[in-house]
Amino acid sequence: MKGCYTGMGTDKRSLVNVKNLKKYFQMPRGTILGENVYLQAVDDVSFHIDEGETLGLVGESGCGKTTCGRTMVRLYEPTSGHMYFEGQDIFKLSSKEMIPVKQKMQMIFQDPYSSLNPRMTVSDIIGEPLEVHSLITNRRERMERIYELLNLVGLTREHANRYPHEFSGGQCQRIGIARALAVDPKFIICDEPISALDVSIQAQVVNLLEELQEQFKLTYLFIAHDLAMVKHISVRIAVMYLGKVVELADKLDLYDNPLHPYTQALLSAIPIPDPDVERQRQRIILEGEVPTPINPPRGCRFKTRCKYVKPECAEEPPLKDVGGGHMVACHLI
Amino acid sequence: MVDKLLEVEDLRTSFFTYAGEVKAVRGVSLHVNKGEAVGIVGESGCGKSVTALSIMRLIPSPPGKIVTGSVSLYGKDLLKLPIKAMQKIRGKEMGMIFQDPMTSLNPVLSIGQQIGEVLAFHEGLKGKDAANRSVELLKMVGIPSPEERLRQYPHHFSGGMRQRVMIAMALACSPKLLIADEPTTALDVTIQAQIIELMNDLRERLDTSIILITHDLGVVAKLCTRVIVMYAGQIIEQGSTDEIFYNPKHPYTMGLLKSVPRLDEIEKRKLVPIAGHPPDLISSLKGCAFNPRCEYAMKICLRETPEIMDVGPDHKARCWLINKERANEDDVIQGQKNVK
Repeated sequence: MKGCYTGMGTDKRSLVNVKNLKKYFQMPRGTILGENVYLQAVDDVSFHIDEGETLGLVGESGCGKTTCGRTMVRLYEPTSGHMYFEGQDIFKLSSKEMIPVKQKMQMIFQDPYSSLNPRMTVSDIIGEPLEVHSLITNRRERMERIYELLNLVGLTREHANRYPHEFSGGQCQRIGIARALAVDPKFIICDEPISALDVSIQAQVVNLLEELQEQFKLTYLFIAHDLAMVKHISVRIAVMYLGKVVELADKLDLYDNPLHPYTQALLSAIPIPDPDVERQRQRIILEGEVPTPINPPRGCRFKTRCKYVKPECAEEPPLKDVGGGHMVACHLI
Repeated sequence: MVDKLLEVEDLRTSFFTYAGEVKAVRGVSLHVNKGEAVGIVGESGCGKSVTALSIMRLIPSPPGKIVTGSVSLYGKDLLKLPIKAMQKIRGKEMGMIFQDPMTSLNPVLSIGQQIGEVLAFHEGLKGKDAANRSVELLKMVGIPSPEERLRQYPHHFSGGMRQRVMIAMALACSPKLLIADEPTTALDVTIQAQIIELMNDLRERLDTSIILITHDLGVVAKLCTRVIVMYAGQIIEQGSTDEIFYNPKHPYTMGLLKSVPRLDEIEKRKLVPIAGHPPDLISSLKGCAFNPRCEYAMKICLRETPEIMDVGPDHKARCWLINKERANEDDVIQGQKNVK
């Protein structure tokens, strides 16, 4: 496995390779003649995901992790950058050329209720991608495939003719997973798939995602803010702060030896469900709040909250490899 | 002898809807000692928020109604008080922090006006006195430049800052009891850490008792001295934090602890989810409410609801497994483990 971590996408085995991805949103102007103002949601992000791997993408709300995921499948048009999927830069494709690519990339959304059309039955929801990509020829085939998918995600064929409101949150998320699996994808972006679910249900869905990954050799980008769960499911983890990746490493490496001050604070902020451990832990409490991405601090974006801040931090630190694929963007290292 | 601040006896709260009576809280008895932080954990719909709202008498009625029970604060039964007297207690003796800091503040009143309202009503403070006290409160919860902030409106504040304002309002009259209903669920982890630290600090300095309602077991481990686990409107286990975390007796509590991954784990282990989902409280439940999801379910669990029993000093659980006289291991229903 070590061989895969050779840095920035020189490796042919990488299924997904994101290079210098930027996504800026134009904000409404204050005055008619005013300058264009941009919200820099994702600013120069690069990473790669190997086949069959799970990359975790973590960060606080507003750090650009969801935008990053959505831009990768072109739900948003990128401002600049490249996204190589199986060696092909999909940002250069026309919308027609995108259709077969989209079949290989699917998404599971955060809110299980609002991501399913309330006026469609479960079989219509799961059947729609099959029709769009012409994967079925007749009705019988369609229903068989739908039953097979329902079975895969732990539902039964009796559920096929019901509507989303008849299901609990965990079951809705299973339907969303079945819909994503319908087209036989290689790569699935899971955008906070469990954060709307109850604790006891979260484990059910995570186990299901892991079983499916094993069975179909899926590659995941797992976006979440629950670091404990991300650590559980991922191979490597990227930490984002204000539109930038500040640290990227193998998960154990990241948890045992976090190098960026933000990662250190983030990890120490997470309470561990063990009273003895909690009593002994020293917490790094970050002062202040995340600055706005409309006018982010120049240089290192974390400098306004960092306690180790130095004059060099006025310049932007590059994301560099400090050994073993552990990458960090900080002048202190 | 420890000082009992709050005592709740056999509280039952129902919502009368078109579909029928939803028994949200089904006989909850609990107490909170002085200066203690008690955590109430459970999944959504288990009745933890309704319990808190019943204590504050804030259940929207209709459709909600406290059917029976008593809530006594210093021996005074709050459920029998007239509304006027209850208003004097709410905010003065007991403060509450709500889950969503975005919607719990009035958007058209400045922060100063909102804190001032509490102070005017309970303490009779007006004008300069109220402003000074408000500045003091904002300082206490760690809001920088409080004099300026007082003139600002909720939309000027971020989520974490709004939660601090909520805490400042709840603490305005130094209440004896602070009820925090999922105070950090809507916040990011680094902000959550700030708020938890703040609450812990306030408890130590002002000797305020806290009821913390949450589903995050990590937060409970950090802040609480005692834990109450709720399921389907009942308390199924309660005890000291150590007892609950290291010696859980109820299969649901054990399941909850096993289903969450831990940050400090080195070896990856498979998560053990609790199969199935919580029951619908609109239908009448027969036997133990957890029986359809329980891997140890016995025949008696389908017939009779277990009573809450002592399993040790300061540790109680509601499960037939601990009732050795009536539980019969041969009774275990085969195949229950595979419930979906």
